[in-house]
Amino acid sequence: MLNRRDEKQPGLRYRWGKRAQELSSQQIDDLLEEIWLRKEENKESISDLLELTKEKDADITLRIMAKKGLIFFEGEKIKFQEEGQKRAQQIIRRHRLAECLLYNIFDVSKRQMETSACHFEHILSVEVTDSICTFLGHPPLCPHNKPIPRGSCCAKFQTEIKPLVKPLTELRIGEKGQIVFINPKHHDHFDRLSTFGVVPGSQVLLHQRHPSYVIKCGETELAMEEKLAREIYVKHVFT
Amino acid sequence: MKRKSHRTIASQDERKSLVLVGNPNVGKSVIFGLLTGQYVTVSNYPGTTVEIAQGKATLNRKKYVVTDTPGANNLLPMSEDERVTRDILLYRSHEHIIQIADAKNLKRALLLTLQLLEAKIPFVLVLNMMDEARDRGIKIDHRRLAKILGVKVIPTVAIRRQGITAVIHSLDHRSSGSFQIRYSKLIEDGVNELERLLPEAHLSKRSLALMILGGDESLTPWLQQNLDKRQIAKIEAIRQSIQAKSSLSLSYLISKERLDHAEDILNEVYTSEPPITTSWKAYLGKITMHSVWGVPILLAVLYLIYLFVGKFGAGTVVDFLEEVVFGKYINPGATQLAERILPIPLVKDFLVGEYGVITMALSYGFAIILPIVGTFFIAFSLLEDCGYLPRLAVMVNRIFRVIGLNGKAVLPMVLGLGCDTMATMTARILETRKERIIVTLLLALGIPCSAQLGVILGMVASISPLATLLWAGVVIAVIVIVGYLAAKVIPGESSDFLLELPPIRVPQFFNILNKTMARIEWYLKEVVPLFILATAILFIFDKLHILTTLQRLASPVVQSFLGLPAKATDAFLIGFLRRDYGAAGLYTLARDGLLNPNQIVVALITITLFVPCFANLLMIIKERGWKTAAWMALFIFPFSFLVGGLVNMALHIFRITL
Repeated sequence: MLNRRDEKQPGLRYRWGKRAQELSSQQIDDLLEEIWLRKEENKESISDLLELTKEKDADITLRIMAKKGLIFFEGEKIKFQEEGQKRAQQIIRRHRLAECLLYNIFDVSKRQMETSACHFEHILSVEVTDSICTFLGHPPLCPHNKPIPRGSCCAKFQTEIKPLVKPLTELRIGEKGQIVFINPKHHDHFDRLSTFGVVPGSQVLLHQRHPSYVIKCGETELAMEEKLAREIYVKHVFT
Repeated sequence: MKRKSHRTIASQDERKSLVLVGNPNVGKSVIFGLLTGQYVTVSNYPGTTVEIAQGKATLNRKKYVVTDTPGANNLLPMSEDERVTRDILLYRSHEHIIQIADAKNLKRALLLTLQLLEAKIPFVLVLNMMDEARDRGIKIDHRRLAKILGVKVIPTVAIRRQGITAVIHSLDHRSSGSFQIRYSKLIEDGVNELERLLPEAHLSKRSLALMILGGDESLTPWLQQNLDKRQIAKIEAIRQSIQAKSSLSLSYLISKERLDHAEDILNEVYTSEPPITTSWKAYLGKITMHSVWGVPILLAVLYLIYLFVGKFGAGTVVDFLEEVVFGKYINPGATQLAERILPIPLVKDFLVGEYGVITMALSYGFAIILPIVGTFFIAFSLLEDCGYLPRLAVMVNRIFRVIGLNGKAVLPMVLGLGCDTMATMTARILETRKERIIVTLLLALGIPCSAQLGVILGMVASISPLATLLWAGVVIAVIVIVGYLAAKVIPGESSDFLLELPPIRVPQFFNILNKTMARIEWYLKEVVPLFILATAILFIFDKLHILTTLQRLASPVVQSFLGLPAKATDAFLIGFLRRDYGAAGLYTLARDGLLNPNQIVVALITITLFVPCFANLLMIIKERGWKTAAWMALFIFPFSFLVGGLVNMALHIFRITL
């Protein structure tokens, strides 16, 4: 099969055998991801991709992907086949949700986030991905403000499942939440908040947002700025 | 109000020591007053009661020295106040401790109670503000609580003196309680290891071990006094190894476990059935912070203060004191007396001459400054006690963020309108050094104190509304721009805005009276002598004709750049020593027709921005140090002239006549 020669695309080398044997699905995934990213930047041509990619022998991999029915070529442009589109979408989704998790919840540095997310995207199953998506409240954008492709859980969001945990800032005025965790940027926020009784397990009520956030925890009323309120993650309490 | 270090509090003869501890805003100072029969500043704005008050009391026929500590939420110190409180308990043994709690916030108080129990020191628990708890439908079974903890628990309403007798009776019996909590294994292991290394102390080894685990660095001096280097190194190693086994900070874990236990206790003794109707106080509490309605309320409050301090204080009372008391009686009386008994003209001049101590310093100090500052303090105490002040901070926080401060800075800024010197001291309530410097700078630069504010406003308003706007606009713009730049330039961090909002209360007349008297007393002791000193310096300058020399030196700048007549220099020079004199000097010039409206505005703008008065400068040196004070003065001095000159040029260029 690998010996069939179809139309020759200019610029691509044709050394099949060895390359095809070495090719792993991870490498295909990585390249699919890059094609997607280039498409987001409106760069669809083969030369653009080959210029910008860091993958070795990317041109050969492209050829193999076309053979496998993941992509096809239209003149100079690369386009997704249906299977390729789905697969690329999943990878991007996993990658960006992983970024959200690492950056927004665990407060990891941007560089760490990027390296780790690159690994995450290859190992997360659909179920785990959807759980992370639900946990984060179906975020629409990654930390780089790029769109996160929707999953099946996002559609249900409209009707059944509510996000489990959300920052205090997303409560409605007058709504109560139970603190699930606090994610402070500085550890002394923890201590000062805990002195006022603002700890996981306590219930807080959001009084107002402007001009400052005012919450009530027990019988204590506290004023704080939005950036501190965003560090407190609550789940909705049904009274 | 001098700061007393716990180390210098000498034990007073055979008096036993009684210490009051508790969260901020619980009424400690009220109870202190009731026990000792004397008051200290009853301030519930967090951080203002930094000083420690002590008083004598005879209770149950025993003699005590009662110490009122700063409000503390935790004996694992996270602020200087808490460290001082902890140190007071650590460095001396006390006969008895009274923990005063806000009944409705019992859970937070229990955080402290559990630590007192761990420390194994005798104490009683007072549940204060029971009336507010009742208003919210909160019921506390204090007998049950007493049984659980093993110490006496007494409900009180301190401002109405209810329950105080029971508190005094409870001091007969000393109990350090029986309730102890057990922490998770990790922490208990750490405590066991540390206990073996710690020496005997006034607080139990267990409580000290927990403080060390919590990363309390302020304990180091005490450790160094009692242990050798090797042991301290071992202690640190143990702490680090325990911390390494946990992904969360140990101090957080310990607090969290304490709060969990507090919650358990609470569930057994505390019930809350909130009433259906909101009280008017709760409603006020909300609306004063409302993003829309809060603003007119704020403006109304400011206007009322202006009426009270500006019109009544600076107008009616000052006029009375100045013209009648001093003008008709004291000044002429003193002058006549001096004529008769003091032959030496120099001494006579010193006392009753143009720059005389009595005729100038005292008459201004008592006739002009005192009524203004006094009325201001009354208004301020009212704001504090009713609970509005923190809400004011909420309203202005966003604006203050622009200039590198947060809403808490509203306290010194507003106080600065009364007296900059006192406000500079209050800058202590801001948490970071950077914020304290910015506030001190802005106070010295742009906030006119009440002494000159009255004169300035009077002068500028009599010209035209445009003139008033121009003056106010330039000063405010300068404050904002300098604050913004200072925030960028000065190294350091700004603190986060996290402020507790006490409930709106009806202020008690006696509290206000006592607070105001305490502040006036401070003012008379600390600031008035500086005015006398300044007047004396002026006297010497005048006698040595230094003033005229300085006038000649400064007049090029004053005349050409600012476009003012030479005589205005006097006003500026004097303005350094006595703020109000500077403004008054300009007033005289204007009244005598020597200044046209343009010049008046330029002069007023310059003098508002001019270097801080002598007293304020000394306070800056004391609070922020020589170097910072020098930098500020070096900046403010030419800067104020620069702005004045620019305004002058602008008025010329745009051919505006005010």
